[in-house]
Amino acid sequence: MTLAFDLPSCPNSLITRLDARWKLAGVLLAVALLAPLTSPGPALSALAGALLVAWIARVPLGWYLRRLGTSLALFTLFLIWLPLVVEPGHDVWDLGWLQISVTGTIRLLALSAKLCALISLVLVLLATTPLPELFKAAQALYIPRIIVHVSLLTYRYVYLVAEEFARLRLALRVRGFRNQASVHSYRTVGQVAGTLLVRSEERAERVGRAMECRGFTGAMHTLNEFATTLRDVVGFMVCVGIAGSLLAWDRLGY
Amino acid sequence: METRSVIECAGLSFAYPDGSIALSDIAFHVEPGESLGLVGPNGAGKTTLFLCLAGVLTANSTTLSVAGLDPRLAADRKKLPAQVGIVFQNSDDQLFSTTVADDVAFGPLNLGWPADDVRRRVGDALSQVGLPGFETRVPFHLSGGEKRRVAIAGVLAMGPSILLLDEPTMFLDPRGRRELMQLLKNLNVTKIIASHDLNLILEGCQRVLVLDRGRIVASGLAEKILADAALMDAHGLEVPYRLR
Repeated sequence: MTLAFDLPSCPNSLITRLDARWKLAGVLLAVALLAPLTSPGPALSALAGALLVAWIARVPLGWYLRRLGTSLALFTLFLIWLPLVVEPGHDVWDLGWLQISVTGTIRLLALSAKLCALISLVLVLLATTPLPELFKAAQALYIPRIIVHVSLLTYRYVYLVAEEFARLRLALRVRGFRNQASVHSYRTVGQVAGTLLVRSEERAERVGRAMECRGFTGAMHTLNEFATTLRDVVGFMVCVGIAGSLLAWDRLGY
Repeated sequence: METRSVIECAGLSFAYPDGSIALSDIAFHVEPGESLGLVGPNGAGKTTLFLCLAGVLTANSTTLSVAGLDPRLAADRKKLPAQVGIVFQNSDDQLFSTTVADDVAFGPLNLGWPADDVRRRVGDALSQVGLPGFETRVPFHLSGGEKRRVAIAGVLAMGPSILLLDEPTMFLDPRGRRELMQLLKNLNVTKIIASHDLNLILEGCQRVLVLDRGRIVASGLAEKILADAALMDAHGLEVPYRLR
């Protein structure tokens, strides 16, 4: 079964071969350092760097563009208004019927570039690291256990919930249901959502019991097979070093 | 020579928090290496009985001993996962890791065994169920039969002396069912098999218990009990084709 949340098979590249722990730590730190960027220069440089990383990682282009586009489309709803916010004293482009703020447009450019860079880095991480390894890396980096467990189980069971939803949808269709703007439709959709919730809760109960039967007491142990090489350390330093330098440029102006 | 039963149970009762009585005055025993069938209609209490034996649910009983441990005692409950393995009705409830190897290793790692030992056990268990080389596969993408085998491997890797199988042939096609029956025959552990598949019970179990509305209504040799048309009919079951 192929769903939208399926990840592509990891392409063979320099970045794929890096240790998942160093890669995860590098990307998390880089994202934290790049997130506060506000100037267009550093933000555009971050974007250029992220695109270069994606190219080196040989991320499947179609997959990458679809996800980047979808994420940006969501943010566009919030960003599109920036050029229209004219503040006193700011330069404007007067189009007669519309005034465009120069400062707002520069902000839009900087924010969009930064967002693209951040999303791009995360996509590279997902495309170059098998998810099970990523969860193990998160655990090895002492990311709170509850976050790792919930993410792992969500990823594992989201397919089943989707299948369940597809079955319910089919059952509705064969009984003549068509989604329309009516009270009956809204009520039906609400009932389907409720059914999914109840079934998921029941499944969670069964999964919990199955885990308990196999000695689970709250700690998720894994067979850790990580090994650090010089390449991992260099990759981490380069990633964090560049992100740190861009933040310094943004804050200090040089 | 007297053999000590691996499961001794008498006067076992269990009620859910809402007050519904799931099991009432259950008494039976299982000898080492025996395969016992557990049959009954839906809602008879088969799964609940398994959960009580595994110590997941705490039952009231006059006598309860499973592999020499008492599931009613907290200290013994911690030791039970190493002795009692349950294969659940729906394998998807049991396979929650992102790779087959991680899933099979889950139980042994919880028992605190060394990583090298766990790796060896994972390989052995997967070979035992006929799935060598499946370590890096994603459980979700496996067929129903393969999922069931991985679920059994996850339990076998813990080296249990008792295996409780809840509807093991459910969701399996005829080939998967045949392969599973062969696998179960080759497993040298004490087994209790709960199933509606009476042909499976007939082929794999010497003795059978009939459970209905939380009570044991009949017990004895599988060939004899399952051939009793009136008994089968009274408890929502059917005489297997071979015994008709």
